Amino acid sequence: MDDYQTCPKCKTTKYRNPAMVLMVNACGHALCESCVELLFAKGSGACPECKCPLRRNNFRVQLFEDPAVDKEVDIRKRILKEFNKRQEDFPSLREYNDYLEEVETIIFNLVYDIDPTNTNKMIDNYKKENKDITQKNRNRQSQEEMELEVLLEAEKAQQSEKANLYVNAELEEKKQKHKAREKLIDELMFSDADAKSIVASHVQATAALAKEQPKAAAQLSSGVVKSSKFSSGVQIGLRGQHTNSFLPIPKQEDLPLYRYTAPVFDYDGPPPPPIEKLGKLNYFANIRAANITERAGGYTEAMSCCRALQEALGGLFYSPQLTHKAAVLATNASTPDTDDMETT
Amino acid sequence: MFATSTQRHFWMFKDENDVSNARLSANIKYISSRGRNMTVAERETHFLNVVEEKSLIMSYEYQLRDFCRKFHPPMPRYVIGTALHYLKRFYVNNSVMDYPPKEILVTCVYLACKVEEFNVSMDQFVGNLKGDREKAAAIILNNELLLMQQLDYQLTVHNPFRPLEGLMIDMKTRFPTFSDPERLRPGIDEFLEQVFYTDAILIYSPSQISLAAIIHSASTSKENVDEYITKILFSEDQKRLLNLIEAVKKIRVMVRNVQLPHRDTIKALEKKLALCCNPDNNSESPAFKKRMKQSFDEEESFEDGQYPSASSNQVRNMLMGLSEMGKI
Repeated sequence: MDDYQTCPKCKTTKYRNPAMVLMVNACGHALCESCVELLFAKGSGACPECKCPLRRNNFRVQLFEDPAVDKEVDIRKRILKEFNKRQEDFPSLREYNDYLEEVETIIFNLVYDIDPTNTNKMIDNYKKENKDITQKNRNRQSQEEMELEVLLEAEKAQQSEKANLYVNAELEEKKQKHKAREKLIDELMFSDADAKSIVASHVQATAALAKEQPKAAAQLSSGVVKSSKFSSGVQIGLRGQHTNSFLPIPKQEDLPLYRYTAPVFDYDGPPPPPIEKLGKLNYFANIRAANITERAGGYTEAMSCCRALQEALGGLFYSPQLTHKAAVLATNASTPDTDDMETT
Repeated sequence: MFATSTQRHFWMFKDENDVSNARLSANIKYISSRGRNMTVAERETHFLNVVEEKSLIMSYEYQLRDFCRKFHPPMPRYVIGTALHYLKRFYVNNSVMDYPPKEILVTCVYLACKVEEFNVSMDQFVGNLKGDREKAAAIILNNELLLMQQLDYQLTVHNPFRPLEGLMIDMKTRFPTFSDPERLRPGIDEFLEQVFYTDAILIYSPSQISLAAIIHSASTSKENVDEYITKILFSEDQKRLLNLIEAVKKIRVMVRNVQLPHRDTIKALEKKLALCCNPDNNSESPAFKKRMKQSFDEEESFEDGQYPSASSNQVRNMLMGLSEMGKI
């Protein structure tokens, strides 16, 4: 897709070089990097399409395919720095929505160059009236950003500590092994006991040591819990400590494993022979054989034979019962409806 | 399967008395709602009683069968069986005077064709009817939902034909001493035709009915299939065997007692029906037509859940337009 985008100035170069990056300017038109440099090397700063005066630092690397989108995103960022009121600042939802609509109108006008003088006037008016609220909101936003930063930092710190711990644990292990080996050699050299017994006891000692290592490592890793409270009970960190604590994941109970039970058919009659045995019992001699087209479709004589037999034998044990709605009505007959019964 | 079907769970009766009771309650309900201002004697003469209703229904069942026999393309047996089932079930819950049987009859056949996947377009279907075709189409379409509603939307019907085939196959395989069970076929077919005019299909399971057909046909040709039943089918259960024998006996008795009512009685009953039927549901009556026209004129826009009602003229024009465009 990137190959489609052409730099409007040099046109051909973009096709041949997909690594080429398009830059977008303040009036929303795209230019490839080399053309931008060319333009400013000459010293003149005019957009090749619309001829509005440009500055070098007004060119940003294009993030979106459509340069118009980039332009709008830019304008939006700029405007929203000024118009940063939130829902809590308004007494009713309707007013908040009106405010938002005003913001959108301004952005729209700026993007499509509709009535720029009026729009700019509106912006200036707003700026004047709402200076302090804007300032307060800005501070609040930066506070939130700070919180996020703190969280990120804490995570990073945790990770680095863990890494350090592991490195330390490894070093410790190595040291211990080294010590043990030296001890063994010393004992062999200086003690009077039997060499074999010394080696055996040494092996036991190393085995016991090996078991202790994982336990120690586990203990160490769990020791990096950050304290969330001062000793007096006041919570550390900015407001919203609930971001650090999470609800425990509900434990899944052990449900019984699924067990397959074959379906049981109640034929209410003598059981028909199963479909696999029909051939052996020579039922097919008495049924029309499937012709080639039928067999190609997957039909076999066994199917219709089995079905006929099931229907024939099913229901033979049936004894008459009243299941019609009349049965239900009969049970309700203890409370007779005057409509139904004839009264003279 | 029948054992798990709605037919078994919702549309079965214990014996003929139960069926008659159900019909009786439907009859009484209709009479008491329509004949509120009449004396007992007047009601007797004006309205149909249960026995007369039963004869009427039987005559309509014969008509249904005739209609299906002449149907083009030829209609398979199970479609006819399903249609008869629907007709029977409908008139167990409702009185004959409430809904005109002629209309319900065609609707039953149409619905049965759909359910049993015997594809017939509306054009083809009304082509088999005499008289005004668009009107018939309109009647059928209007009644279809009513029919389904009265059947509680339980449309799957188990007929005795497939169990019959199964029993034939089984007999040929496991009971080879009985030579050529195909000889019994004509008798069986006749029996099955007759059984649909009784209430046996509402009391016994279809496999029992087909077994009764086999036994009947065998006994008329002086053969004996008892060995097959006792040795092979019911080799384990004696008690159930007795149960089955009883059922078969009763079915055969019912079939033996089938009697087509006399044509003159039927004519008289029809005349009586024309007098006492519910004019709101009878599309012939002038009251119905007037009501339909009124409701169509009033309601230009229909509220949720109501279907547009149209006078027969409007429907006719609509259907003609549709049939000109293509197929309905």
